Order: sequence, then structure tokens, then C-alpha cells
Amino acid sequence: MSVSYSILWPVVFFPLLGALFAYLVGLKHKQLAGWIATGASGAALFYVAGLTLLLPHGRAFEQRLFEWLAVGDLQAALTLRFDALGAVMSLVVAGVGTLIHLYAIGYMAGDPAAGRFFAYLNLFLAAMLLLVSAANLPVLFIGWEGVALCSYLLIGFWFKKEEFAGAANKAFIVNRIGDACFLLGIFLLYLNFGTLDFSELRLLIERHPELSALYGWVGICLFIGASGKSAQIPLFVWLPDAMAAPTPVSALIHAATMVTAGVYMMVRLNYLYALAPLAMLVVLVVAVLTAFLAATIALAQDDIKKVLAYSTISQLGFMFMAAAAGAYWVAVFHIITHAFFKACLFLSAGSVMHCGGHEQNMRKMGGLWRKMPLTAMSFAVAGLSLAGMAPLAGYYSKHACFLALQSGAFETWGRLAELALLLAWLTAFVTALYIARAFSLIFLGPAQGNLTAHEPPWKMNGAVLTLAVLSVFSGYFLALPHALQHYLRPLFSGPYFNFDPGGVLEALFVHSWPGLLGVLVGLSLYLKAPWLIERIKERFPFTARLFRGKYYVDEIYALLIVRPLERLSVGLWRFVDQGLIDGTVNGGARLVDALALVVSRVQSGQVRHYALFVFSAAVLLAAFYMVF
Amino acid sequence: MIPLGHYLILSGLMFVVGVVGVIVRRNSIVVLMCIELMLNAADLALVALSQAAGNLHGQVAAFFVIIVAAAGAAVGLAIIIAFFRTVRSVETSDAGELKG
Amino acid sequence: MTALFWLLAFIVLSSGVAVVSLRSPLNSALALALNLLAVAGLFAMLQAHFLALAQVIVYAGAIVVLVLIALLLLSSKIEQHKRREDYLAVAAIVLGSLFLVVLFPLLQGALPQISANNVQVTAGTVAEIGRLLFTDYVFLFQLAGLLILTALCGAVMLARSRPGQGG
Repeated sequence: MSVSYSILWPVVFFPLLGALFAYLVGLKHKQLAGWIATGASGAALFYVAGLTLLLPHGRAFEQRLFEWLAVGDLQAALTLRFDALGAVMSLVVAGVGTLIHLYAIGYMAGDPAAGRFFAYLNLFLAAMLLLVSAANLPVLFIGWEGVALCSYLLIGFWFKKEEFAGAANKAFIVNRIGDACFLLGIFLLYLNFGTLDFSELRLLIERHPELSALYGWVGICLFIGASGKSAQIPLFVWLPDAMAAPTPVSALIHAATMVTAGVYMMVRLNYLYALAPLAMLVVLVVAVLTAFLAATIALAQDDIKKVLAYSTISQLGFMFMAAAAGAYWVAVFHIITHAFFKACLFLSAGSVMHCGGHEQNMRKMGGLWRKMPLTAMSFAVAGLSLAGMAPLAGYYSKHACFLALQSGAFETWGRLAELALLLAWLTAFVTALYIARAFSLIFLGPAQGNLTAHEPPWKMNGAVLTLAVLSVFSGYFLALPHALQHYLRPLFSGPYFNFDPGGVLEALFVHSWPGLLGVLVGLSLYLKAPWLIERIKERFPFTARLFRGKYYVDEIYALLIVRPLERLSVGLWRFVDQGLIDGTVNGGARLVDALALVVSRVQSGQVRHYALFVFSAAVLLAAFYMVF
Repeated sequence: MIPLGHYLILSGLMFVVGVVGVIVRRNSIVVLMCIELMLNAADLALVALSQAAGNLHGQVAAFFVIIVAAAGAAVGLAIIIAFFRTVRSVETSDAGELKG
Repeated sequence: MTALFWLLAFIVLSSGVAVVSLRSPLNSALALALNLLAVAGLFAMLQAHFLALAQVIVYAGAIVVLVLIALLLLSSKIEQHKRREDYLAVAAIVLGSLFLVVLFPLLQGALPQISANNVQVTAGTVAEIGRLLFTDYVFLFQLAGLLILTALCGAVMLARSRPGQGG
């Protein structure tokens, strides 16, 4: 299946080189760093595109770089493999990445540490590309940790602000908890199969379908790791805090690429999950709950970036839902479309913030469509795509998710799947609701305050508009049966989900009703009858507070986990570190000191005492001589 | 004839008396005298053993001991004088510069 | 003969103890002189005529005189008895006794190499000692001369007065 060529290394190497040069050049010429980084990203994109064109259908390019892990029986080389799935993911990562790099040149112009920023951004790209090009689990894990590192570095980019640094810590630590389970899954796999290479695992696992229980445990462990990275319950709390990062970072890492790594991992190991219905059930339940709860939280937030963050969490739930239903390629489809419209939304929000007075609270905005028409249009288009309005891209991928739940999951879990589908429709409705709300608050209605807003420069707007266009058209073309569905088919064995996109009109009026309804209701509510909102909030105060307070998850964690750990740490510090260890060391020193004080009295300076010592020694010697 | 043992025991006793003197006395000149006492004890032992062995080598050795003792006494007194110049005392307890 | 030995031994020991215990250094010096003379007598009893002579001339004559001059020049203060230094004396005496006890077998004179006490021996006359000195020990003899020269120079150097200092 794989052909060995030595051609894969530039995929990861170009952005690495870019990172180095961006940093070095950025020390002297800050403006140039961004162009270097964008150039490296673009080079990677072109290279990946070329590889994709050259890739024969159903085969893969493989390159074994060097022998890396050789511990006992575990042999893992740094091997890259470029197959259909890798091609799709790399294109998305590099493509959206390059656009966001371009945007960031404008966004970060004037920041004194721009060189460092672009270096980190390129480093992230390298790590992410490594992740999706990995041929075995250890290499994937390198990329996994690499993107976590870059996420940490970029969230805490303006580290002088303490809460930003705290957010970066939170992201990394929560991720780490997931990683521990992820590693457990990897260990289990290695213990039972002796290899961690994806193709070898596929062969071995498909040959042993009877080990369903093992696959179940592994699947759950790996999914916990994925939920850390892809922000599902209970490890999603880092993502809203991660909005402390500069907006291009939020767009690239926390919307389009890094957070999809968990989904990617699940798709990669589809053969394992296909044989573990228990794990699939767990994934489904968690995903549906996450999607719904996150959407309700997004409805009650005032900060535009927080709305988009919870929206991302919700949409990730959709991707996991599709994967849990067995329609893995649909999950990939949603990754692609989500990357486009979410990045577009984030960048538009960034334009609003950057060129509109650095304000993030939507309640303080209003009527911006007059001053930033292009941005408003991009936001609207991407928002409709998110809401799932046909014939935009988001509709096709979301609709595919619904259909996947209906066909695959119904057979396996019956009533449960019906419930899941219901919740999914409800979530789609709430999604449309909150994005309509956001749009009305920012762009429509009366202008609040005296925000001096203007349309962003072309460097920035170019990326936004490109993404908006992609959000419109990519869905239809990718949904065609001979497109993505067929392209990814060789990677999966077993029943394959068939999706027929159907006609456009039928799509618009029959199938996209949750989104349509949500948008209409939302717009009318927030535009024409804001007083109704207040009345609803008064009617259901508890629910309102619950949504607004993000179900108090952070507070619960702080109470149950963080505070006890802190107290334990302080206790350990006082007792063990200061008391025992320092005590022993210092005590030792003090003992020596005391001893020295006593012994030093021997040196009295008096010759007579010394003579006495000499004579005693002589007596001792004589005694020895006589005895022996 | 006097047995050899008597002479040796006498020599040992003299030696020990000299050692005690070196340790106990504070006046450094007296200490020097006690040292001479010790050397004398050695001389006595050497001569007694020389007679017991039947040759004169022990006596020659004792002769050299006397020479060395004289030289030592001379130099020792010179040191004490030099010490006296600065400290104005010949007590050993006043030479405690190396304390601690 | 034995009576002489015991007399001389008594003088040696008591004057030795006197050297150590008399408070006045001048008295100690005189006791030392007596001690050295008694030892010279013992040497004579042991047929070491030359040595007895050397002992009287060099030791009792020159060294004791030197010590007396030094005492008179520097200080002949009576040493004060310090109660808290008694422990030193006790320690020294104890150690000394220990020393004797340990070496007792040796001191009994039971040495295997030495035959019976009544060996006829050539007397240690000047001629005999001189013969040995100039044949077997000539090298050491010369060295001893060098040693005395060095000691002489050293003593003069150490004890001479420096500019700016009294004495």
C-alpha cells in the first residue's frame, strides 16, 4: 500500500526552517518576520498540494527518516506517511494556516515581539503537520505534544498579563491530564500487539475482532486523551480561557487545526473503534452532551471570542458524533468545513476588535455593518454556514452528521440514538440562535458608544474573504459522491456511510430547518424584541444564570480538585521540603558546625597540650609494638 | 655487677620525669632543661646497653647525642630570646597565636 | 659497687623530680646540674670514662651555664601554681606510667641479643672512643662538626638584636 520515497521531509521541515528564520530576522526587522513565516507556510502548502496531486488513489507515500525509539522490544522509527487522510488534513492545515499567517501580518503589526510570534506560529504548523503525517503512534504523540507546547506559548504570548499566563498553564495542564490517559491507551496497544505502526495495527486488529473488550478500554483511554485536546466534557475548560491568545492564534489553533487532532486520531484508528461498540457509545454520549451544553453556554456569553470558543467545543461534539456513528469521513468533512467558517468567524471578530477600538464585549458594539461592510458580510456568510443553512458548506457537513446518526447509530443503539439525534437537532437550533444573536449585537442595531471603526487593510481582509468564499462553496463540491467520500474510502474497511447531497432547493427548505428556524428567531428576537429576552430571563432565572455561568464547571473543578491539590502541595512543601529535606541538610550542616566547635578546642595554641598529644601517640605506638 | 635492667629502668624513669616536666612547666627555659633530662636518659640507656653488648658503639652514639643536645640547647635558647623580644615573656602560655 | 649505684640512682631520680617540680627556675637549673653530674658518675661506673668526661664538660659545664645565663637575662620569675592546670599534670603522670608499664618487658633487660651481664669489655677510654670516631664514624663526626657550626650561626642570627628593637 505504501511506496517509499524520500520526499516527505519538507512538509515538516519548511515550517521549522521558517520558525528559525522568522525568529532570527524578527530580532532586527520585525515586519519581515511575518512575511518569512507566511512564505514558509505557503511553501509547505504548495508542497503538500503537489504531493496530493501526485498521490495515487488508495496508496500512500512513506518516508522513514531515522531510527528513533529502540527500547527493548519497542522499535519506532520517525516515519512519515502521506495517504488520502493525511493529504486532506495537511491541505486544510497548511491552507488555512497560510491564510491566517497572512492575516496575522496585519494583525500583529506594531507588536514588539512579532518575530517571536511568527516563529511560534510556524513551529505550530510544523508540529501539526508532523501529527497528521505520522505513520505510528509515538510520532503522532510528538506532534500532539508539540502543538500543545505551541498552544501554551501562544496563549501566554502576552505573558506579562498574569491571567494570560494562567490561561496558558491551564491549557497545558488540562491537556496533560488527557495525555496521561492517551499514553495508557498507547501502552495497552503496545502490550498486546508489539507494534505501534498504523498500517501494522490495522492488519493485526482486523485479524483479531474477538478482542472487543481490549479495544473498548483502549478506545476509551484514547478518547479521554482526545477530549483533552479537542475540548470535550470534562476537559474542555481550557478552551474558553485560551481566548487570551491573539485572535489569529484562536483562529488557527483553537478552531481550525489543533482541536481537531482528537477527531483525526479517532479517524486514524477507525478500525479499532469499529470493533468496540462500548467505546463508540461513550464517545457518542459525551459528544452529544458536550455539543448541546456548549451551545447553551454560547448563547449567554457577552464576549465575542468566548461565544466562538464554546461554539467550537459544540461543533467538535458534532464531529465526534459522526465518528461515533461510524461515518468517519463525515467527521473529516465537518473538520474541513468547520475550519473554513470558524476561522472566518474568528478573523472577522479579530478585525472588529483590531479596527474597532479593541473591544470584545458585544454589548458595547452595534451597527458596525455601516463602517465595516465587508467584514459584516463575511461574518454573516460564515455564521450562516455554521448554522447549517443550505447550500453553504456547513449545511452539507452537518446534514451528513445527522444522516450518519440516523443510519449507523439507529441500528446499533436504537432508542438512545434517537435521543441523540433529537439533542443534535436542538443543538443546531441553539447554534443558529447564538450566532444570529452575535451578529445582531455586533453589526446590527444602533451604534453604541463612539467606536472608531474602519475596514481592515487588504492583508487582513483578503484572508477573511477567502475563507468566507470557501465557507460558501466548499461544502457542495466536497459532498459530491465522487469527492471526499470516494477519496477517503480506501482507508476504511467495513460498512461505509453513503451520503447523497440531494438537490439544493430540497436541502434549503426541507433539511436545513433547524438552522433556518434558529436564524429567523434569533434575528427577530434580538433585533426587534430585545425586551422579550429580558422577560424570558426573568421567567427562568436559574437557567439563565446556569448558561451564563458556564454551568459553574470551573468553580466546581476549583473546589473539588484545584483547592485540595493546592493545600496538599503547601502541606508537602512545609513538611517534606522545608521540614524534612531542608531540615536534614541544614541539620547536617549544623551538626558539623557544633562538632567542629567542640573539636576545635583541641587546637588550643598551647604547646604543652600538643606535647601531651605527641606523647600519648608515642605511648600508643609503643603499646602496639609491644603487643604485636 | 649491676644488672642491665636496673640501668634501663632508671633510664625509663628519668625519661618519664622529663616528659612530665615538658608538659607541666610553663617556663620555656625549664622546658628546655627537661628536654635535656630526657636526652640524658637516652644516653644512660645507650651506655648501659653498650656495656651489656660488649662493644663501644653505644658509647659513640651517646657521644653524638650529647653533641646534638648541645646544639639543640643553643638554638633553642636563641629562639626563646627572639620570642622574648616580642612578647616580653618566656611563658609558653603566652605563645598561643595558633589557637583555634 | 651496688651501694654506689643506688646512691647515684637516688640522686639522679630526686634531682630529676626536683628539676620538674621546683618553682623557681634557678633552683631547677641547679638541680639539673646535680642530675647531670650524677649521671656522669654512672657513666664512670659503666667504664665509659671519656663519656663521663664529656658529660661533665659539655653538659654540666656548658649547657647548664648557658641556661643559667639565659635565666638571669630573661626571667626567673617564680612560676605561679594554677589550680586549673592540675589536670595536665595528672594526665601526664598517668600517661607516663602507662608508658613504663607498656615498655616494662623491654626495660627488664631481657634482650635475646645480649648475653650475660658479666662480659669483659674494653673500657671506653679516650683512645678507644677516638679510634672508633676516626675510623668507623668519621663521616658522622664531620657531620657533627658541621651541625655545631650551623647551630652556632643559627643561634647568633636568631638572637642578635634587630635595628629598632631593644635587647
